[in-house]
Amino acid sequence: MATAPQLLEPRQRSKPGDLAVVLLARDSYEPLILEQSTGAVDGYAEGAMLNTRFGSFPHSTLLDIPWGSQVRASAVDTGSRGRKRRREDSGDDASTPALEDTEGTATPTSAPAKKAVSASSGFIHILRPSPELWTYSLPHRTQVVYTPDYSYILNRIRARPGTRIIEAGAGSGSFTHASVRAVYNGAPKSEDDRKGKVFSFEFNEARFRKMEEEVDSHCLRDFVSIKHRDVYNEGFLVDGKSPMASAVFLDLPAPWKAIRHLSRRRPQDMEQDASDDSKWVSALDPKKTAMICTFSPCIEQVIQTVSDLRKLGWVEVDMVEVSNRRLVSQRDRIGSYLPKEKGANPNPADVTEALSKLREVNQKTREFTRIKANGREGGQDDQMDVDGSNSEREPNANNKLDESSTEKSWMQGRLVHRPEAELKSHTSYLVFATLPPEWSEEDEAAAYAKWPCGNEAKVVGSLDKAARKQEKRDALHSKKKRKQDQADGEAQ
Amino acid sequence: MSRDRVQPNCWVALKLPSEDFKILEIVPNTTISLGKYGSFPSNLIIDRPYHLTYEIQDKRDDENFARLRVVPAAELNADALADTSADAEEGETEEETIIKPSDGEELTLVDEASGQVVIRSKGEAIDETARQTLTIQEIEELKKKGTSAGKELIAKLLLSHTAIEEKTAYSLAKYKLLKTKKYIRRFTVLPLDVPLLAQWMLEDKDASKIMEMRNESMALVGCWADVHYVAPHLNDAEDESGGRWLVVDDTGGLLTASLAERMGILHENPDEAEKPQEENPEVQIEAGSEETKTEARPAKRRRPDDLELPFAKRNTLTILHHNTQPNLFLLRYFNYDSSDPDPHPPYHPLFSNMMSLSWLQLLNPEEDITLANPPEEVAPEVLATWKTNRRGNHHRKRRRWARTRHIVDSTRAGGFSGLAVASPMDPVSILRHTLPLLAPGAPIAIYSPSIEPLNSLVDCFSVGRRGAWITDPPKEAEGKGIEELERWEGNAEYPLNPTLVLNASIQTSRAKRWQVLPGRTHPVMTAKGGAEGYIFTGWRALPVEGKIEARGKFKRKKADPK
Repeated sequence: MATAPQLLEPRQRSKPGDLAVVLLARDSYEPLILEQSTGAVDGYAEGAMLNTRFGSFPHSTLLDIPWGSQVRASAVDTGSRGRKRRREDSGDDASTPALEDTEGTATPTSAPAKKAVSASSGFIHILRPSPELWTYSLPHRTQVVYTPDYSYILNRIRARPGTRIIEAGAGSGSFTHASVRAVYNGAPKSEDDRKGKVFSFEFNEARFRKMEEEVDSHCLRDFVSIKHRDVYNEGFLVDGKSPMASAVFLDLPAPWKAIRHLSRRRPQDMEQDASDDSKWVSALDPKKTAMICTFSPCIEQVIQTVSDLRKLGWVEVDMVEVSNRRLVSQRDRIGSYLPKEKGANPNPADVTEALSKLREVNQKTREFTRIKANGREGGQDDQMDVDGSNSEREPNANNKLDESSTEKSWMQGRLVHRPEAELKSHTSYLVFATLPPEWSEEDEAAAYAKWPCGNEAKVVGSLDKAARKQEKRDALHSKKKRKQDQADGEAQ
Repeated sequence: MSRDRVQPNCWVALKLPSEDFKILEIVPNTTISLGKYGSFPSNLIIDRPYHLTYEIQDKRDDENFARLRVVPAAELNADALADTSADAEEGETEEETIIKPSDGEELTLVDEASGQVVIRSKGEAIDETARQTLTIQEIEELKKKGTSAGKELIAKLLLSHTAIEEKTAYSLAKYKLLKTKKYIRRFTVLPLDVPLLAQWMLEDKDASKIMEMRNESMALVGCWADVHYVAPHLNDAEDESGGRWLVVDDTGGLLTASLAERMGILHENPDEAEKPQEENPEVQIEAGSEETKTEARPAKRRRPDDLELPFAKRNTLTILHHNTQPNLFLLRYFNYDSSDPDPHPPYHPLFSNMMSLSWLQLLNPEEDITLANPPEEVAPEVLATWKTNRRGNHHRKRRRWARTRHIVDSTRAGGFSGLAVASPMDPVSILRHTLPLLAPGAPIAIYSPSIEPLNSLVDCFSVGRRGAWITDPPKEAEGKGIEELERWEGNAEYPLNPTLVLNASIQTSRAKRWQVLPGRTHPVMTAKGGAEGYIFTGWRALPVEGKIEARGKFKRKKADPK
C-alpha cells in the first residue's frame, strides 16, 4: 500500500492527488482533486484551475497549505483562452468582468506554469475531506443517505473499527465513505489478515463504474470491495467466499428479496435448486451476531421487510425514523425607531413603544386639525405649536435612536432560532434487526462442562428484602473489621 | 475468544420482558437474581454468545439451580407474526419460508390464542364488567408453581378472562402482551457497549448525569468531529501528529466512551490479532499478587525509568476537565478505572491512548501543584536505603510529574485533529481557549441539551459580525498578526475571533420509534421527553493575512448596512 488514505489518516497539509472540499460560501461545497501542473493546462498559464463565482483559483495556490486555509482568488486570464468563458461563471460573474479584464496579465501558454497573482477580491476555504463533507458535496446519482441517518445507523448496527460490513445499493457512495471510516482499523498486512472492510454491491452499471473510480481516487481500494451485482438473485458472496460480515446495510427497493441470502443456513424455499449442489456459504461471520439495517422510504416496504426478517429468525426487530432539523440563528430586530434596513421589523418593540407611537400620531392629527382651524383664523401661533410639539416628541425618539446607533446592527435585537426554510421532513424508515449466532446442543454441553453450575456462592441482582439486609450486615461487618486492621486500609 | 461471547467478569446487560435493562458484572459462580422473573447461575451464560434469549426453567428435583433454555427465534417472533396467518389464510404457503425451530417445540399457547382470534368477528362491545376470574391467591399459587416459565400462567389468565371471547384481535394481543411482559420468565443477554449504556442511563438511570444525551446526538457528535481510528504509525514518517482529538466531557465519560469506541480503544482486546502482544504482561500479573507488586515485580523490566511515558502518539483522546480529576465514572463498565493512575498490566487501551488535564493545567500550568513541584532527583544508593512506602511514593510522584508535564506540553502545542464537547460550561469560553489548539481545518462538534448556549455561539460567527471584523476591525485587534488573533481574548462585541470558524451551524436529531405489527403499524405512543439535544458543527479556519474582500453577489449585500 503506497499511501494511507487521506480520508482515514488525517494530515495537516494538502498535497497533489488529494481530495479537497472547497467551501465556496455557507453550505456550498465543491469536491476537487488537487493537481500539480508543470505547465499550462486547458489554456490556463497557471496550470490546473478551479473557477468559481468567487474568482479563479489555480491549484498551485491550494497545494501544500494547511487544511482550513482561506485562499485568495488569483488574477487569471480567463478571456483570452481562445474559447468562451466557462459555463459556471457566465451567470454570477457578470458583475466583475471589468475587474478581471484589467488585471488579467496572462502571457500565452508556455512552460513552466506561471506563478499565480492574487486578485483584489474573492476567496474560498479549502477543507480536509471527511465523509460528512463528501456527503454534502458529492455528485448526486441517487438519493443520498445523509449524516443524521448514517451516523445513527452505524451506531445502531455497531459498525466499529474491525467490523466487516455489507452495503447493498452503494448509490451515491455517501454511506460507503461513512462506513469505511467507521470500520477502518488499519491496512491488512496479508491476504488472511481480516481487518475492517466494506463490501459494497451496486446493481446499476453506470453507478458502479463511478463508485469504482471514486474508491480508487480516494485510495480506498484496500478497504472497500465494490461489486456489480444483482443481490436479489446472486447474494453477497465475494468470489464465492464469505465476506464474514457482522453488519449489513440495505438501501434497496425490495430489501426482503435480499435478506434471504443473509441467513446462516440455506432458507427452505431456496432448497429446490437441485442443480446447485454446493454447500451453503453464509455471508455472515458464524461466530458473531449480525446486525442489519434496511433503509426504505415507504411504510409498505417496511411491513414486508419486518415480516420477512421475523420469519427468517431475526430478532429484536425495531423500526425508527430519524428526523433531523437544521436551525438558523438570527437576530430579531423589532422596533419602530430602528434604522430602516433589511431584516428590521418596523413594528413597535413593546406596548410602551406602541403607545408613544400612537401618541405621536394623535399629536400630529391634533396639530393638523388645529392648523386647519387656525388657518382660517390666522397663521401666527400654529408655527409655535408645531415647534413645541416637535421638541416634546423628539427627545424620546432620539433616545431610542441613540441607543440603537451605538450598538452594531449585528448586536441589536433578540437572538432567536428557527428551522431552516426547507426541511428534509422524511428521509426513510430504518428497520433494525439482530441475528444471533447459532448455538447448538453440543456447544451448550461444551460450555456447561467448562463452566459447571451448582457451586454458587453469592447472589447478585435483584434481591429480596431478607437477602438485602443480610448483605448490608455483612458489608458493615467487614468494614468494621477493615478499620481495625489498618494495615490493609487501601486494599479496596 | 474475544467479545463475541460472554466473558467472565465482564459487564453485560440483561434485557427483561418488561423492556428494562439490568446491568451486571458476570462473576463466575454466583447466582443472578432477576427478581420476580427468577434466578439462575452466572455460569450458565458465561462463554455463550450474546443476543440469545433464555427462559428460566423450573428447578430439576436433583439440582439446586434453575437451568436455562435458549428460546428459538421462531418462538420469539411467533406473536408478532401470528396475525398475518389469521388475516390471510391463503398466505400459508408464505409461512413455508420460515426456518424451522431447531427443537420443534410445540407453540401451544400461540396457537390457542390465535385460534380464538380467527373464529371470532371483530368489534363487539366489551362487557363493562368483564374481568379476570382468577383471584390473586390463585395467581400467586400459579406463580409459585411456576411451571413452563410462566407460559401456563399466562394461558390460564387469558382463558379465565370473562370477556376473552368478546375482545378484538387487537385488544387480545395487547392483553396477552401485557400479561407476558409481567409473567414470562425470559431475558436476553446483550453486550454492554456505548449505545446500550447510553440508552440505559437515559431511560432507566439518571439522565442528568449524561446531560440527557441521546444516542442520535452522540452519533452526530462523533461523526461531525470526524473521530475514527488512525494507525499507530504511518508508512511515511510525515505528519505523525495526526489523529489526536480534544474532548471536553461532562457526561461522566459517556462522550469519551463513545469516541473511544469509534477509535477502537474502548474495549479490551477488540481483535484477536492484537492479543499476542498483551499475552506477556498477563503472565506477569498472575505471578505477583496485589500487595507485592511494587517491589517483587521485575521492576527493572516494566519500569526502566519513571520518566518514561506510556502514551501513544496517535489515535489519542485528550480530556479537558474542570475538577482536579476527570469524572469518567462510566468507563468502569468497560473495565477501565480512571482513578487509578498506575494500573498493572495488561493495560487497558485507554491507559495509553487517553490523557487528561485540567483547565488550570492547560491555561496556567505554573499554578498547578503537580507541575510546580518537580520531584527531586534521588541517587539510587540513597533510594535503596528508603523504606518501601517512601520509595513507592517517590516513584509515583515522579511518574505523575513526568506524565502531567508531557500531557500539558503536548496539549499546549496544539495541532488537534478535532474537538468534541458536551459540557454545561459556556461554549464561547470553551472555544476561546481550544480554538488555538486545533489544527486548521479541524472539525468542531459541540453537544448541548438546550439550544440557547449554542445559539449565542453561532451568533459570534454571524455574517454581520464577520464582515465588520474584516472591514472595521476592533482597536485591540489592529496591527496583530494571524497567530496573535488566534488567541483573541474576546471583548463585548467580539467574544471570539469570528473568522476562526467556518460554517457554524446547529442541528437537532430525533429518532422516532414505531411499532411494526401486521395491521397495527404506528409510531409508539410515548417517548422520553426532556432535553431535545442540539449539535453545533463547524470547522476551524486559517484566515489569510491582511484585508480581504468578498466577491460575487454578496458584495452588494455587504455594502448595504454601512
